[in-house]
Amino acid sequence: MTFRTRVLPLVLTLPALVVVAVLFLVPLGYSLLSAFEETETGEFGFGNFAKSFEFYGWDMLFTVIITGLATLLIGALSIAIGGYLVLGGHPRLVAAMRWLYRWPLFIPFIVAAQCMRTFLAKNGIMNNLLVTAGVIEPLSAQSFLDWRGILFTFVWKQTAFAALLVSGAMASLDPATIEAARNLGAGKLRVLVEIIVPQVRVTVAVGMILSLVTILSVLSVPLMVGTGSPTMLTVDMAFRINSYGDYGVANALGFLTYLLAATVAWFYLRRGVSTGGTP
Amino acid sequence: MRLTRLMSLVGAALAANVLTAPAGAATLNVVTAGDQNMADYVRDYLGPKFQKDNPGVTINVFGTGPGDAGSQKIFEKLEAQQKASTATYDIDVAVVHQKMGGQMVEAGMLEPYRGKIATGKLVSRDTAVNALGVNVDGYVMPMFHSQTALAYNSDLVKSPPKSYNELKSWVQAHPKQFGYNGIKNGMSGVSFVVGWIYAYGGNADKLMKGPYDKAVEASWDKAFADLKEFNKNVTFTPGNAGTMDMLNRGEIAIGPVWVDMFYTWMADGKLPPSVKLLLPEPGMPGQPMFYVIPNKAASKDLAMKFVELATSPAVQAEGIVKRFNWYPGIDAEHLKGSLDQAVWNKLFDDVSPQDLAKKGQPFPIVPYFSAITEGYEKKVSN
Repeated sequence: MTFRTRVLPLVLTLPALVVVAVLFLVPLGYSLLSAFEETETGEFGFGNFAKSFEFYGWDMLFTVIITGLATLLIGALSIAIGGYLVLGGHPRLVAAMRWLYRWPLFIPFIVAAQCMRTFLAKNGIMNNLLVTAGVIEPLSAQSFLDWRGILFTFVWKQTAFAALLVSGAMASLDPATIEAARNLGAGKLRVLVEIIVPQVRVTVAVGMILSLVTILSVLSVPLMVGTGSPTMLTVDMAFRINSYGDYGVANALGFLTYLLAATVAWFYLRRGVSTGGTP
Repeated sequence: MRLTRLMSLVGAALAANVLTAPAGAATLNVVTAGDQNMADYVRDYLGPKFQKDNPGVTINVFGTGPGDAGSQKIFEKLEAQQKASTATYDIDVAVVHQKMGGQMVEAGMLEPYRGKIATGKLVSRDTAVNALGVNVDGYVMPMFHSQTALAYNSDLVKSPPKSYNELKSWVQAHPKQFGYNGIKNGMSGVSFVVGWIYAYGGNADKLMKGPYDKAVEASWDKAFADLKEFNKNVTFTPGNAGTMDMLNRGEIAIGPVWVDMFYTWMADGKLPPSVKLLLPEPGMPGQPMFYVIPNKAASKDLAMKFVELATSPAVQAEGIVKRFNWYPGIDAEHLKGSLDQAVWNKLFDDVSPQDLAKKGQPFPIVPYFSAITEGYEKKVSN
């Protein structure tokens, strides 16, 4: 009995545990150690962190602001999309929306970034369309290849993912709650804000957290869409390694990124534990 | 299946006879840093040519990606094998950037082979001897030389600025019309910044040749402060290709570019013919890429034959100059017989060989190079 209840589960999960340990925990440990090992002297200390703040302080702030803003927008848009799908307007429009909103899911970040480069440029497709439509004057066209482009690309790409989670949760709600509110005269917006969102708020939070962690790790978008400085920390990490072979500072920046991700991951895990392990 | 195996065995045996190399050495692993076109060049052009002369040899080509990152990956792979004391390394020929060539020589992972191949004496430029301050004499063969220059739209700019000084005042008069990609999104921007320090930091010669003296860095403060001021009137572009895109769309009128990329885009019709090149005074940097052979390469003899072919005048003319618009790795005079005049003229259309000799500079030695980019991070973009 003890074999089946105690040993067997361990044996069965062993391969997965080994993979996690070898491919994830060991590199993580190395990277954490290297963050505290000073590149020039080889001694342990906080030199890499001092340098990180000195050189990339603004980039850290920039990263926090961009990821935070993107996450909020993703949350709001995913609620809007999910709400539209559940509360619906015209059935054809709902069907079209259901079909359309998932597309960015299948497009890798690097492809999205490459497309945005020609879409958001000063004389790019977006401005050309706006000029043709008479919305803006050709002279007032400006390039969005900066923080706005980065934000736009992240929100465009990640909203699909969050909306998929959120609309799934909304669809599985008991329709009686919505109908009851409608019968009592609540408008669609009020139903969404006061009835639906409170019931799916955990899923919305999960979608936002996973999006935030994903955004923190993307190199291609800030590299290809962003211009000048400040830039995001992933670009700085790549630059430290490729230009200086300096893993110390790169790992220190990585460590700070872990901290950022860990604070939000904490909420995610705590919720996972409280619901018995379902993600 | 069996037939092909038989054939490859026969081929290997033949190769073994011809080369007096061990029969097991019929595979050549070529690893190249740089854009996809570098891997394609070896796979589609050099590889088949080499196999024609050496039947039965299998050539595996791997590209490790653009920029210093690509070279870094090759270094890390060799370093891992070196640390593990592997008997033979699984890289026979590597194509790496200049800086990495020096680093690999210092790490003691390369074979001094230039004296052993026939084309070794066709190179006299000092880039084959000195790689950013490291003596690489004998260990490397330049595959090609690349150069940065300013590209400008001659429709928009009738009298382009011919020097960094003129560019400074031009940018003041035409804000946001000059664009470059900073230092983190590609080497054409780095090149522009290095050229700036050469022009205004003083003592450019020492930066290129060494020796390293930390005190020199303090003399760049004014140059960096000026660059910060200059940047206020500049448009930042997303990368090497981004600069050319913006030139093409007329969003900027002048920007630093790689000459080879420029000619390739021009040939593909991705840049209007009104965009032209110039090398500003006092100059801008360029760099070679090197063929190197690890000292424990499994197929060292084959590797040397391969590099010999790759640096022969015929291949340098046809492959490097004609196909890719790079400046040749071996001395240009040896190519005269293999290249028609029209191709030669096209390559030197905007930037003459004299210009190139006078204003084509090497990058600074590694410690100064890092100090310049770090200085930029700290004092210009921060």
